Amino acid sequence: MASSCSQALRRHVCKSCTILQMHVSFFFIFIFFSEEIVIPKKKTWSKEAVLQALASTVSRDPTASDYRLQDDPYLTPKTSSEFKLFSLSQESGKNAAKYFINTYPKYFQKDYAQPHIPCLMPETLEAQIEEVSEAALIERIHMRKVEAAVDLYDQLQQAGTPVSLDVTNQLLDLICFYGDSDPAQENVPKQRSEETEDVQDEPQTKKGRASKASDQLKAAWKENNNAERIFALLSEPNTHSYSALIRGMVKYCAYSKAFSTYTDLLNNRLKADVNTFNALITAAPEVKEKYNEKWELIVDLLKEMAEQKVKPNLLTLNAVLKALRHCGTLGKSQAFPVISEMKALSIDPSLASYNHLLNIFYKPGAPFLGQTGILQEVMNEVSGKSFTPQDPDDGICLLLQRCLLTKDIEQAYRVHELLGVGENWRLLGKDLQQNIYYARFFSLLCMMENIDVMLKWYRDLVPSVYYPSSNIMRDLLQALDTDNRLDLIPQIWKDIKQLGHANRQKLVEDLLTLMAREKQNQEVQESFAECALDIKKMYDTGDRGKVIMSWTATSLSDIISVLLAAQRRQDAWEILKLFKTHNRVPSEELLNKFLMCIMESGEVNHAVELVQISAGFCLPETPKLIQRVQQEFQLSEQQKNILSDLEIQTFNSD
Amino acid sequence: MYRRLLINIYQVRNGLIHTRLPSTKCKERESFAPVIWAPCTARPLGTSSISFSENKESSTSLSEDKEKRPEENEAKEEVNTDGQKSTEMNECTEISNATLASQLETETVDKPEDSKQVEKTKSGKESLLELLGAMKVEVTTVRKIRPSKTPRISVSADQEPMESAHSMFQHATAEGSQQHGTLNPALVAAVSAAASTLPNRHQAESELLKQLRKHEAVPDTQRRADGQNIGHIIADMKVGRRTNGRSNARPTSQIRFDDDDGKGYTQDRGITGELDAVRRRKSPFTSKRLNIFTAGMEQDTLSDLGLTLWDIDLANQIVQATNQTPRNGFEEMIQWTKDGKLWQYPINNEAGLEEEASVPFHEHVFLEKHLDESFPRQGPVRHFMELVITGLAKNHQLTVQQKKEHIDWFRDYFRQKDDVLKEAEA
Repeated sequence: MASSCSQALRRHVCKSCTILQMHVSFFFIFIFFSEEIVIPKKKTWSKEAVLQALASTVSRDPTASDYRLQDDPYLTPKTSSEFKLFSLSQESGKNAAKYFINTYPKYFQKDYAQPHIPCLMPETLEAQIEEVSEAALIERIHMRKVEAAVDLYDQLQQAGTPVSLDVTNQLLDLICFYGDSDPAQENVPKQRSEETEDVQDEPQTKKGRASKASDQLKAAWKENNNAERIFALLSEPNTHSYSALIRGMVKYCAYSKAFSTYTDLLNNRLKADVNTFNALITAAPEVKEKYNEKWELIVDLLKEMAEQKVKPNLLTLNAVLKALRHCGTLGKSQAFPVISEMKALSIDPSLASYNHLLNIFYKPGAPFLGQTGILQEVMNEVSGKSFTPQDPDDGICLLLQRCLLTKDIEQAYRVHELLGVGENWRLLGKDLQQNIYYARFFSLLCMMENIDVMLKWYRDLVPSVYYPSSNIMRDLLQALDTDNRLDLIPQIWKDIKQLGHANRQKLVEDLLTLMAREKQNQEVQESFAECALDIKKMYDTGDRGKVIMSWTATSLSDIISVLLAAQRRQDAWEILKLFKTHNRVPSEELLNKFLMCIMESGEVNHAVELVQISAGFCLPETPKLIQRVQQEFQLSEQQKNILSDLEIQTFNSD
Repeated sequence: MYRRLLINIYQVRNGLIHTRLPSTKCKERESFAPVIWAPCTARPLGTSSISFSENKESSTSLSEDKEKRPEENEAKEEVNTDGQKSTEMNECTEISNATLASQLETETVDKPEDSKQVEKTKSGKESLLELLGAMKVEVTTVRKIRPSKTPRISVSADQEPMESAHSMFQHATAEGSQQHGTLNPALVAAVSAAASTLPNRHQAESELLKQLRKHEAVPDTQRRADGQNIGHIIADMKVGRRTNGRSNARPTSQIRFDDDDGKGYTQDRGITGELDAVRRRKSPFTSKRLNIFTAGMEQDTLSDLGLTLWDIDLANQIVQATNQTPRNGFEEMIQWTKDGKLWQYPINNEAGLEEEASVPFHEHVFLEKHLDESFPRQGPVRHFMELVITGLAKNHQLTVQQKKEHIDWFRDYFRQKDDVLKEAEA
């Protein structure tokens, strides 16, 4: 037995040996014929490789909240305002810690970490080198202290110490970048007042950009500022110096000045660099009036780039496309040639390019006729690709906005799919952008999709990634209405309450109207009644004891009809009394309905009381009600008297 | 029945989606063959008019069917490329196929009965001839199908109704004298075997063979006529394709309106998408370029300025514009790794000791070489220093440089205390 085993083993080993030999010989043949293949002795993985592999195994859990909110289940936000509060406090907590570390570095000198972790140590914010020297100037440039650096440069000039061209260029960069004023301190926590509630369809004026633009406006390029002064002092300015100056001028809206500086550069027989050209292309639409002049200027700049053998980059492409937005119809005809030109230079357009392209073709506010083709073309180009952010304008949100305008749900799905590819989710932007994106996606879904699909998305995205606004919830209610799934309303009401929209009067009134409009089957009607009573509680006790919503006649009568339909006479009766306390007048229709209900139950007292209430409001319907009650109820003597009194009263008042 | 069949064919033609077309086709063809050929043999013998007309009907309709076959194929291709098939349509065509097949079956079942009736009335010789004719047809069709599935089949089938069966018989008798056709030996054997069963053996055999040769000759004449006929058929095919494109679009658009859950839209998109695909050969993204730059342009080194403040700011802006918040714990760890706050993966216990990496271990362990002449060769100081270097050799916290400095410190110390040591005579 054992011997046969060993024999088998030996045979096996022999076989594997021959196989191995074959492999080895193949291997040598392989190497012999293709020599460029180098098999590494050791594969060095990047330090994130393991973690990236692990991270790719984790997918989103639609039932869990966002990762950064998971620390404390008690604090997990349930509404959009709570979410905003949570994320802002998280951010500002970090900023506060950093502020203290940097302001009091002497308390944070002990280095526990082994190996040393530089990013946990306090930054040095004060200049260390005191004497007047080039090194001190470099230090100040690195610390981005514009005024101190300019002072030091002047001192160096007065002392007659030569400053090298490189350092001067760096100084110019610094001055031009900050527009000759000290940068605002970064650690000051910015107060963001973002209105997520009403997301307007403003074209690409994101809040961040708008505020940045206003910053730029208040710091315009000043005549003969330090940058120009230092530039004039240079005996032989080179490309870098010109580049810094032109970029600064473009950044601070001195466009014509930028162009004259550029001609200066050409006169000095220098070549511009790609950044200079990019800046000039951005400025081109501002210096010319007519569309064709603008475009000609851009083409001229591009031709000069080619002449000076400057290779354009992605930012050039995006700058051209952005400029074409201001070129009217010329933009439409020239956009695609520009893109194919760049493709020929193996510059792949980024999402920002596509965004600019869509902006060229879809003018905000203008109706587009048969232009869906461009969106589809863009989606064909884009879908399935993973984009890395390369331009501040790279964002997915705009694509969806176009889908919304065209009401093209299929393209919207494609956009959403695109979001799942690779690292594209990063391009969605920060919380605000995400909110806008999902709001648009949802309103499109509400409009175009049937309710089952809609609810699937709803359950998937709410509230784990998106807290819908009350407008979106109203859209959802409308979708429920059109698809005749009103039985889901109590469920939606629970969500509304959780999302903190229970005190939005308009939303709640819509909800009540929908519930009261038709008579549902018994079970649904019962749940409606529960829901209505719940809503009533919201009216009674507002947020923190404050009454936010006020009863209107329609909301009261809606609640009563819901309750009556569910045979909750007692509750309905109580609500009817609210008309009096809140000075609202019930409609005749409602009173008739109520009377019918009372008739069914045969409660005579209530009927008389109802007539009394009606008379109290001096409704014109009262005599008819009295008549009906007299005819259809078994009245006691006392009740008859009351009614006849009322009859006389109303008759007199008429 | 004729009309019904035609309607069926039209249905098939308009939206045929054969998933198993080849097989059904073959079956159909097999069943067609006797049906088509039967009248040819039956007519001169004066079969009952009912059976004949019925056969003719079926044959003409079927021939039409065959004319339409190329179109059907096209339709099938188009629909297949669409990728999305409407199930409704599928069902409809399947039903029509089924009805077609069933009708054909009933006809083929009918056929033998008819011929039997004929047999009763006619003489034995003639009936034998008829049988042989049927047999012969099978042979020829088989032969023609097998080598090449070209339009020729449809041509031969196509031509038969045109050419009246009567004239065909005349052809056959006229060409019978030529006798140039060489018969399949297997056939000859079969004929002789058949003839042997008859009383007048030789006569029967020769007659049978003659008959066979006639039939052999018929396809030859048809083959000659092929040239012009193919032209007709190609023309037909072209026409069919054009009408097809239109007739195809209509049913789908109807479906779109019937459909509630939006499937119609997708299908419409599928078809229009296909049309788009045809049109998209010049997509705007592949349009002409400005021709300002040359592709293989090299960049001037001059424009390389290195990392400037502007570049840092651009990177910063991009970071600001994108979502950098981690989605799960691992992504947070990636972020920490990038910040340098986390021990790097794969775990390496020498992380952060990069400057020590080039120092071999013996520099750490064998420190005797540092105890050179500056220390006494023996005595308590030497003994002490040996203990020191043993301790240092085991210390993993210090770098070699620090260890050397440690020893140097002792060297200095003992040098300073030299006189004290001498006094103690250590």
